[in-house]
Amino acid sequence: MIRSLLYNESIKVLSKKRTYIGFILILFLVPIIVLSIGNGAEYLENKIYGQLRDSFIVFGSLTNGYLATYLIIAILTGQMPFLATIVASEIVSGEYSKGTFRMYLSRPVSRNLVLLSKLVIVNIYTIIIMVFFIFYTLLISTMFLGKGDLAVFHLGLLFLGEGDIFWRFFLAFNISTLVMVTISNLCFMLSTFFKNSVTPIIITISVVFIGTAISFIPLKIFESLNPYLFTGYVDLFLTAFYDPVPWLLIRNAIIVCSLWSIFFVGFSFKHFSKKELLE
Amino acid sequence: MKTSKINLLSISGLTKKYNHTKALKNISFDIPNKSIFALLGPNGSGKSTIIKILSRLTTAWTGDIFHNGQSIKLSNNYLKDFGFIIEEPCFYEYLSARDNLKILSRLTNTPFERIETVLELVDLIHRGNDKVGKYSYGMKQRLGIAQALLHDPKILVLDEPNNGLDPIGINQMADLIFRLNNKGKTILLSTHSLIEVDRLCTHVAILRDGNLLIEKEMEPNLDCKFFRVEVDDNRQAISFLKKLDYINIIAIENNILVISQDLTKSSTDIQKEIKKNKNIKSIHQESDLIKYFYD
Repeated sequence: MIRSLLYNESIKVLSKKRTYIGFILILFLVPIIVLSIGNGAEYLENKIYGQLRDSFIVFGSLTNGYLATYLIIAILTGQMPFLATIVASEIVSGEYSKGTFRMYLSRPVSRNLVLLSKLVIVNIYTIIIMVFFIFYTLLISTMFLGKGDLAVFHLGLLFLGEGDIFWRFFLAFNISTLVMVTISNLCFMLSTFFKNSVTPIIITISVVFIGTAISFIPLKIFESLNPYLFTGYVDLFLTAFYDPVPWLLIRNAIIVCSLWSIFFVGFSFKHFSKKELLE
Repeated sequence: MKTSKINLLSISGLTKKYNHTKALKNISFDIPNKSIFALLGPNGSGKSTIIKILSRLTTAWTGDIFHNGQSIKLSNNYLKDFGFIIEEPCFYEYLSARDNLKILSRLTNTPFERIETVLELVDLIHRGNDKVGKYSYGMKQRLGIAQALLHDPKILVLDEPNNGLDPIGINQMADLIFRLNNKGKTILLSTHSLIEVDRLCTHVAILRDGNLLIEKEMEPNLDCKFFRVEVDDNRQAISFLKKLDYINIIAIENNILVISQDLTKSSTDIQKEIKKNKNIKSIHQESDLIKYFYD
């Protein structure tokens, strides 16, 4: 039965235009940014590394595909919750509002299995859009700007050799996807509560926004709270480019995000299994 | 279609609360096999609540419902014997009719060939690949029936099936209900139309405010006839009607009077006689069932 349900959910998601909004946006936006970085390489290097030129003699250009990918991911990851929750916000609430649950759930099928199939699709979608975002950016950037060493700021200027970079992008992908899946699961939970798809997105983005803001406010109460909030790990992917990589922090992020996900998913199932579909 | 004495569904002590309001109050009745069974009552009487409990869209309720002797609380497997149209039929409008039906087929392991059969039955075979969003209201109603019949259920449950249909659509629906009943299907329908029940049904359960007023097999009433009379001035109309010894006033609601007439006189003569009074705006014969609402 679960295979049939997964197939049904895939058909539904793939047939909706909104599913492709995120992909289309990334598809066009990334090449534009990459080309802009390529064109404005000198200006960009002066802005980023300008002061360091007094201390270092740099041969050639620091701008390459890896730097462009690093910059694009750093800038756009904060906006990814908007795109990653497009499907999650609508997958349950949309069926409430259109009334389609009335015919779907009056068949001999378990509500928990129906919700599970939707959850699986939401998580797969989130992973796919993150794969597309990071690896498409990497592909386009290296295609247009070539490869080379990656210069990042961590305890000063850190040069990562060409052979030491790809696994770091892969790690960054895993960390940011973990956080994004948690955000999707929050949105999924909210979707089981509301009859429209806008409210779950607004609440989710507000939670991420407030949570991220808290992590930047230097107050003791927020600093002690931050490690337990999944929102505190939205920019954790940057640590994939540290040397050494702070594995302990990443382990904590995995635990915290997983616990939040379990909470969101558990609450969704508890609510949905008892939900009265009266309208 | 002759109804079987065996009860397909037995509803026992059914009670449902919404917050502090009791929508159903300890209701019990049986639905015979192969019957056309009407749940009759005004809005808010509890008809749709019974259907939502049956379809598992409502989860918290007390009492029990037995299908073929087994409590439906034990498993949702009984739903394979049921086809529902609850309120307006709903679809994934961005998919074609065939794709909508395929989605439902997968839930009941129904072979895809059955899709063509039901599309043929509701006369949508040539529009099956069109997106449902492009369908007219009538076509959607027909597709709703196709959805409900897709897995060849033994019981078809229709919640207000004539809502929004034009007179031709209502006749087509009645035709379909008779045809399906003749093929051996039990039909459970909710309605607030006495005429619909008179015309279609073999059995009726009348509900009001969550209470079961009566459950009965439909049979012609040989004692009297009932009329709904619209009047201008209640007092004058009542004093006029009271003078006619073969008339009983059953109920008065604003400018509507419900009256009964014994069968010593022809109802056509009586209607003519009543219409002579200037206070009487219109008079229509009503179903015998109306008396249960004014006991």
